[in-house]
Amino acid sequence: MSPSKIKQKAPAIIGTSQAMERIKDLISHVADTGLNILICGESGVGKEVVAQNLYQESPRSSRPFLKINCAALPDGLLESELFGHEQGAFTGAERKKRGKFELADGGVLLLDEIGDMSIALQAKLLHVLQSGEFSPLGSEKEVHTDTWVLAATNHELEEDIRHDKFREDLYYRLNIIKILIPPLRERPEDIPHLIEHFVNEYAYQFQAGRINIPGNHMIAKLCEYHWPGNVRELQNILKRGFALGNWDEIIDELFRYAPASIPSSGQSAGAMGRSASVSSLSGLDYRTLNLDDISLKDITRAAQGRVEREVISFVLEKTGWNRSKASRILKISYKALLYKIKDLNIIIPH
Amino acid sequence: MTTSPLARLLIIEDNEEVLRSLKKYFTKKNYDVVTASNGLDGLKVYENDQDGFDLIITDLVMPNISGVAIISLVKKKSPQTPVIAITGWGEHPEALATEAQADLVLEKPIELDRMDRFISDLLKKK
Ligand SMILES: Nc1ncnc2c1ncn2[C@@H]1O[C@H](COP(=O)(O)OP(=O)(O)O)[C@@H](O)[C@H]1O
Repeated sequence: MSPSKIKQKAPAIIGTSQAMERIKDLISHVADTGLNILICGESGVGKEVVAQNLYQESPRSSRPFLKINCAALPDGLLESELFGHEQGAFTGAERKKRGKFELADGGVLLLDEIGDMSIALQAKLLHVLQSGEFSPLGSEKEVHTDTWVLAATNHELEEDIRHDKFREDLYYRLNIIKILIPPLRERPEDIPHLIEHFVNEYAYQFQAGRINIPGNHMIAKLCEYHWPGNVRELQNILKRGFALGNWDEIIDELFRYAPASIPSSGQSAGAMGRSASVSSLSGLDYRTLNLDDISLKDITRAAQGRVEREVISFVLEKTGWNRSKASRILKISYKALLYKIKDLNIIIPH
Repeated sequence: MTTSPLARLLIIEDNEEVLRSLKKYFTKKNYDVVTASNGLDGLKVYENDQDGFDLIITDLVMPNISGVAIISLVKKKSPQTPVIAITGWGEHPEALATEAQADLVLEKPIELDRMDRFISDLLKKK
C-alpha cells in the first residue's frame, strides 16, 4: 500500500473490445502532450496499467514514474509525502525529506484514488498544477517542479463536486484529458483474451506442463460472471485455478455468492414475489427441491453469505478498499471484517 | 456559379445538433467546413490534415480529449491559428481556455450571426 517506485516495462493492454481499442488509440495520441490526464473506472479495471502505458509512450519514459495512493495515507502524512518537509517542520520530522513532486521532476506522478484527497490538500495540489511551484512543509521557499500529473479514481467526481467533496476548479484542471475504462462486465469479449494472456504469463511461473488451463465451457462461464473486482478479480481467480485445476468448484463458488439480481420493477410483492426473492438471495430455488432436502439452516446461510458479500464489497469499493474505514461503516470489528473478507472470498486489490 | 471558399474551418463539438447547425450555417456563409464529434477525432483530423485550417472552433467539455487540450495542442503547433472555444451553460473551464490562449470564449446558446462577425474579425487580424 505504501507509495512505490515502478521501473519495469509497462504491461501490455489486453483487450480488443471497441472501448479498449479506443483507449489504446487515445493513449497513442496523448502520451506526448504532457497535459493532465484523469483516468476513471472501477477498482481493478486497469487504471494503473493505462498510466504505465502513457508513461512508457511519453518522452519522459527515461525519467522517474512515481505513484502515490491518496486513500492509503492520513492527511498530514500524504501532504509530506507529496511536498516533502524541512527538518523540524513538525514533531517527528527529524530529517529533511524530499516530496514526490520533487522526486518526480521531469517524470510522471500518478495520484491514485484522487477522489479520497481532503479538500485542504486539493487546494495545495491545485496550486502546484497552476503554478508549477510548491513549498515543502516548514519552508517558505517555493520549489519549481516539471511533473506530468496523472490522476486516477473510482469515484464519480461530478457527484463529489455536488456534495462539496471535490473542488470543481481542480476537477477541470485534471480533466483536460479523460480516459474512462469501462467495467469488465461491459466488455465480456475481452475476457477470453485476458485469460489467454494470463495463461501465457503464468505458464512461465509454473513448472512446464503443470498449469491447469480452463476448458472452453469454463471460459464461457467466466464470460458470464459480472466481475465486481474486474480484471484484478479475474486474475486472482485464474491464478487459483491454474494452480489447483478445480475449475468446477471455483465457478460454482463465483456464481453462488454473486449478488442477487435486482427484481424487475412492478413485480408483485405477493407470495410468489417473496419466494422468488428468497431463491435469488440464496441462489437456490427451494421450491424445486425434494421436501427432504430443504434445510432452513442451509438456505439461510446461503442467503446470508450473498447479502454479506454484496454489502461488504459495496462498502469496500466506496471506501477505496480502506478496511478500517469500511469496518467502522459496517459497524463490525476490523478483525471480523478481515475474517469475512477471507471467508466470503472477497478479492481485495493490492 | 461557385466562388472559392472564404476560409477553412474545423469545428469540434460533441453535441450532434449544435454541430449540424454550425456546419449548415457556415457552409452557407461560404466557408469550407470540416467537423468532428469528439476531441480525439478532432485531434486526428487536425494532425492528419494537409491543407491547414484557417480557424478552429471547439466545444470545451467533451468526453476523452477536452476543448482545453485541443486549444493547447493547436496553439503549440501553430500559435497563429485562431481558436474559438464554446462552452455550455453552467460549466466553468473558461479560465483554462483563456490560459490555453483561446482567442475567444463564447457561451451557449450560440448566436450564429455574432459568431460569424467574430470569425471575420479574427481572420482579418491573422
Ligand atoms: N487491459 C489489461 N490488460 C492486461 N492486464 C490488465 C488489464 N487491465 C488490468 N490488468 C491487470 O489487472 C490488475 C489490476 O489492474 P490495475 O491497473 O491495478 O487496476 P486499477 O488501477 O484500476 O485498480 C493488474 O494486475 C493489471 O496488470
